Amino acid sequence: MSMIEFHDVQKYYGKFHALHDINLEIDKGETVVLIGPSGSGKSTLIRTVNRLESIQGGKLIVNNQDLSNPKTDSNRLRQDVGMVFQHFNLYANKNVLENIMLAPRIVSHMPEEENKKQAMELLDMVGLADKAQNMPAQISGGQKQRVAIARSLAMKPKLLLFDEPTSALDPEMIDDVLQVIKKVTSASEMTSLIVTHEMGFAKEVANRVIFMDQGHLVEDDESIAFFKQPKTVRAQQFLSKIISH
Amino acid sequence: MQTWIDALSWLNFGFLLKGLAVTLYISLVSIVLSFILGSVLGIIRYSKIKFISAAVGFVIDLVRNLPLLLIIFFTYFGMPKIGYRPSAITSAIIAMTIFESSMLAEIVRSGIQSVSEGQMEGARSTGMSFVQALWYIILPQAYRHMIPTIIGQFVSLIKDTSLATIIVVPELMQHAQVIYGQNANYIVPMFAALTLLYFIICFTLSMAGSYLHKHMAS
Repeated sequence: MSMIEFHDVQKYYGKFHALHDINLEIDKGETVVLIGPSGSGKSTLIRTVNRLESIQGGKLIVNNQDLSNPKTDSNRLRQDVGMVFQHFNLYANKNVLENIMLAPRIVSHMPEEENKKQAMELLDMVGLADKAQNMPAQISGGQKQRVAIARSLAMKPKLLLFDEPTSALDPEMIDDVLQVIKKVTSASEMTSLIVTHEMGFAKEVANRVIFMDQGHLVEDDESIAFFKQPKTVRAQQFLSKIISH
Repeated sequence: MQTWIDALSWLNFGFLLKGLAVTLYISLVSIVLSFILGSVLGIIRYSKIKFISAAVGFVIDLVRNLPLLLIIFFTYFGMPKIGYRPSAITSAIIAMTIFESSMLAEIVRSGIQSVSEGQMEGARSTGMSFVQALWYIILPQAYRHMIPTIIGQFVSLIKDTSLATIIVVPELMQHAQVIYGQNANYIVPMFAALTLLYFIICFTLSMAGSYLHKHMAS
């Protein structure tokens, strides 16, 4: 059973061709890591999956909904597809607890008590139960990202997208966040698609690795095989540059 | 000295205060109406709904680039020609509302745009609709930034109501004219009274604005 299907997907920004003929199938429960140099289209690709970016050609099916059909309801789609952003995007006008409780309350109409209980459990899971009443501006970057993960989990997504979740963090904060992501992706039935530059982490959590370059999907392989020896020269070059330091 | 005492007799001063009441009435009604209309127009401008957003943008640009006096003349002298004859006070309120709404629409649009795009994306990614994201996340942050500018606009609005004297709305400025029209020696005392009254009202509002801004920021 597939969760995501790309069939010859094209993405343009004006005349710039950002994604070329993307063909990709991701099954339910898989944890897939998307890597590649800057500007290769990783973030663009992941953002098409929850329709933050539109596509201009081909067919894209996510959670049995056809995103190439303009009539498909984006809000309905996103209730099952969470996203964790590079810059966290916590609501600056709401405290930590409210950040987590807002969408379950106004989108899925969860009863208030159940909602609060769930939010506190999620905060506990990411190790921030004591920060429930803090405003986002009062906590560190790593803490913000853990709250953002809890917020996206509160909608009980079937698919969770991580768009460079540690790229904006101080080095000492990265590990805590990666631990939480590891916990989340390994414990559940959830499907995850992760854009990251953390190769060690990618090796550890991914079942599968996708390598992109200049808007093309260059390589798609089992994680162990990929990190041992990528098939394409481009991916070999990329890995050798990254891993050497 | 005796001129000043006569000019500002209880009778005259009471007459000025009646004018002031009309000024405040026009201001208050226009502020409420233009705040609502300006917010709606600003949100439509921001939403980029095809054609509608562009059409609204055109009207806003048009109105913003006209003298307020022309709009007041239009509502008072022009509208009766197309079948609606409002009273002078209503004309003034309609004109102020049209003019101030287009000013506020631009303030609201840029206020919304000053909230980082990530806030909208974060909200939409959880399944919230555009309107929910605006209501719960974007607008509360945007209005907080906008308070000083919006209050400043309201201060201009109050001062601009004095233009309504030209269509003989019985507001503060007009009543002062009536008084010194009877005795030219009263001109300077009347101007002094107007200066004081406009200053007290506008300055108080400005101060309330900065207090609110500081208070909400903390």
